[in-house]
Amino acid sequence: MMEMFYDAATRVNGRAIGDWKARGRKIVGCTCSYVPGEVFHAAGILPVRLRGIETDNMAIGDAYFGPYICSFPKCILQLAGEGRFAFLDGAIITPGCDAMRRLDDCWRKAGEDHAGIVPPFFYYFDVPHKTAPHGIQWFGEEIRNLIRAVEEHFDVRIDDDSLRASIVTYNKGRRLLKSLEDIRRTPHVGITGTDAFALAVAGTVLPRESFTENLEKLIRSLEERKPDIAGSKKRLMTLGSISDDIDLIQLIEEHSNALVVAENLCFGVRYEGHEIDETGDPVTALADGYLGKSTCPRMYGKYEERLGILKQIIARAGVEGVIMQNIRFCDLHGSENSLFERDLEAMGIPCLKIEREYGPLVEKGRIRMRLDAFMERME
Amino acid sequence: MRPEMKEFNYDWMLWRILDPASRTADGTAKELQHMYRFAPYFKGILQPILQEGAPGIHFLKLLNQYLENVNTAHSRGKKIAITTFCFSPAICYALDIVPVTLEVITAVGGLMWKRGTFDYLDYACEIGFTETSCSSQRGALGAYLAGLGEEIDMVLCDTPGICDTNANAFAFAAAFLKKPFYQLNYPQGLGDKRTDTYHVDDYKAMIRFMEAHSGNQLDEDRLREILMEIDQQDALIADLEDMHRLVPTPLPPMYNLFNYVGRFLFSGSPEYTRLLEQMVAKTRENAEAGRSGLHSGKEKLRAFLCYIDHYSLNWNFWKWLDDHGIAHMGGILSRGFRDNACYVADLPGSSYGVETGTLDAMIDSIAQMNARLPMVRSIRGPFDQPNMWLEESLAVAKIFKAECMIYNGTPGCRNTWGMVKPFAREIEKHGYPVHIMYADAFDDRVESWAATAERLNEFFQVRGLL
Repeated sequence: MMEMFYDAATRVNGRAIGDWKARGRKIVGCTCSYVPGEVFHAAGILPVRLRGIETDNMAIGDAYFGPYICSFPKCILQLAGEGRFAFLDGAIITPGCDAMRRLDDCWRKAGEDHAGIVPPFFYYFDVPHKTAPHGIQWFGEEIRNLIRAVEEHFDVRIDDDSLRASIVTYNKGRRLLKSLEDIRRTPHVGITGTDAFALAVAGTVLPRESFTENLEKLIRSLEERKPDIAGSKKRLMTLGSISDDIDLIQLIEEHSNALVVAENLCFGVRYEGHEIDETGDPVTALADGYLGKSTCPRMYGKYEERLGILKQIIARAGVEGVIMQNIRFCDLHGSENSLFERDLEAMGIPCLKIEREYGPLVEKGRIRMRLDAFMERME
Repeated sequence: MRPEMKEFNYDWMLWRILDPASRTADGTAKELQHMYRFAPYFKGILQPILQEGAPGIHFLKLLNQYLENVNTAHSRGKKIAITTFCFSPAICYALDIVPVTLEVITAVGGLMWKRGTFDYLDYACEIGFTETSCSSQRGALGAYLAGLGEEIDMVLCDTPGICDTNANAFAFAAAFLKKPFYQLNYPQGLGDKRTDTYHVDDYKAMIRFMEAHSGNQLDEDRLREILMEIDQQDALIADLEDMHRLVPTPLPPMYNLFNYVGRFLFSGSPEYTRLLEQMVAKTRENAEAGRSGLHSGKEKLRAFLCYIDHYSLNWNFWKWLDDHGIAHMGGILSRGFRDNACYVADLPGSSYGVETGTLDAMIDSIAQMNARLPMVRSIRGPFDQPNMWLEESLAVAKIFKAECMIYNGTPGCRNTWGMVKPFAREIEKHGYPVHIMYADAFDDRVESWAATAERLNEFFQVRGLL
């Protein structure tokens, strides 16, 4: 069963995407976790998180983005320029951060040089940086505008009932991911961090029904078998900037004494951790859920809140050490990781802060050496 | 940080240098020459300012006044807010809060000292800033984070969604120093009703925050007084910009800086109005005589800085332009987008007006003004969206008859580095050669001034501009 999740988590154009397209159905890519997947699900469209995996050079990314830009959007642009996202019928760009929002400009401009790489539905989704009432109101209006644009472009109808049904479906997946987190919190842990992360990443790509159905089976199997993979390993947590690199978690767990039992990453359970209200106006519920409960550093001025969440996860999962990573040029996570390091170390929790490039682990040796040193410190 | 750097506060040191300098500025030539002997490094920045005559002297006094305000704020029972250049300090003055505009006092350190703000820049990295975070805040902020500045009472910024690096510096400072924080947030569009309403709602919430943390109430009469002063200042700026269109431009290169620094520090204050009056008088004199503002008197070329200037020791950048006969046609920092500005005609919805009839009208005016300050106006949306960076740069270049554009920022300008290549390509299509500088406007260690000058030389020669 894990093979299906790994296929989705480690391939840009995996089997699930191929099967979906073979049935003549539409796919829309999103750059950020602020885009409510329910909107597309309600329209029978598959929403997928855009990722930069399988990139082997940056010639196109570097031609449009400047030098001081995170390698994640550059990798996405690279894949787009190579035609690897040809399966997309649409793309939604959000101002998750400055580098990601400029994917809008760079992708469109690259489209002038590389014919056919810009999906027919190319949409800028303007997410505010605050959860004050006027911020939530703005975001609600943005969701309504997005719904109208999707309806018009794809000739579909997204009504309140279908949206509410999609919220119910998505919430089921959220509850299952929470169950998985509960299993990871037990003394025996039950599942490696690598597998758990692959599951979470796969959830951003797979059709929701297929994801929940298979996740449910897996959880049931874990609950029945109760595999003990913890032993005397150190229980670790990973956090930081955008990362869908299964290889990074795997690299950590290659150390004989390391086990990742929790994450706080943009890909992962951070955004699936809370359910969306299934009653009342669905758009308001989505606005409250996706923006109001957001704990991403782009929501400035909420450091204490984010630290509080980390402390909760650390306590619940029995975390003994924290590995913080950020992609080079990520100011938001880069500097906030330093604050976390200061405050968590003061609580006696060892922390390792790593700055790295996104994509193939070209710095594997350097990172492994630092991980080894960190593990030595923990022992 | 080197121990000697911890002997005195950064803002105090700047003040103690500027205070005697601004007093001596009124002295005789002999007194000045004598003073220069005691300020061998500072002389390089001081002399060019004083050479500008009355506006230069007034500018020096203005800077000094600002630093005095900061250094004496607490003893006068006032609260201090750190804020950013694209945030109008006018609302702080209306609420009797003393603003500290980080970028300006970082630039002053960079212009004045051979060591720049290097120690503070590095200290900020030591405690967690990324190495490529924006040096414009990091320089001065490093000092405040190290406790080498007046204690900050609150943090105000307006760059989330505009410049994450900037906003992040302020958010970090608030978390690190445990101070109250407010961020104004701007949507990607401009000029439509929905966006304007968001600006006002957000601005009103900020006023409530400032009231709560200063203990002061917004005084309607005081706000009106400030807005009327801004109205007068905008009219003077419009005069200056009208004259700036002349060929040759009668504006001395440094007037661009005097203008925007004055606005960033003292918008709505009479001190800034006096500076503008003096600049208008001198520029008018030049214009009537058909004189170029360049010191050589011969304008060979007009360059538009499509982003910001370069604040290296002793005005190196301005001096280089001046020495090469290149007129500085301003940059993103120079333009305020008041509805009487000569460049707004082609950019409908881009400007703001000033209404002082009611409190609501005034808050609306100041909120819309703030939303049109440098950067928060131009780079909030996709660069080729109506009214954004591309259209603005082309409109400004056209009206001021610029012949080329120069992009300069810092490695921290994540937003513009994310689009400057396609932006430059579009600009080139309109016939403007564009030079992208890879220097750091506030940190010469990233690229030495000698290398920057060499690349400027290369650009102007290779493109056949000089």
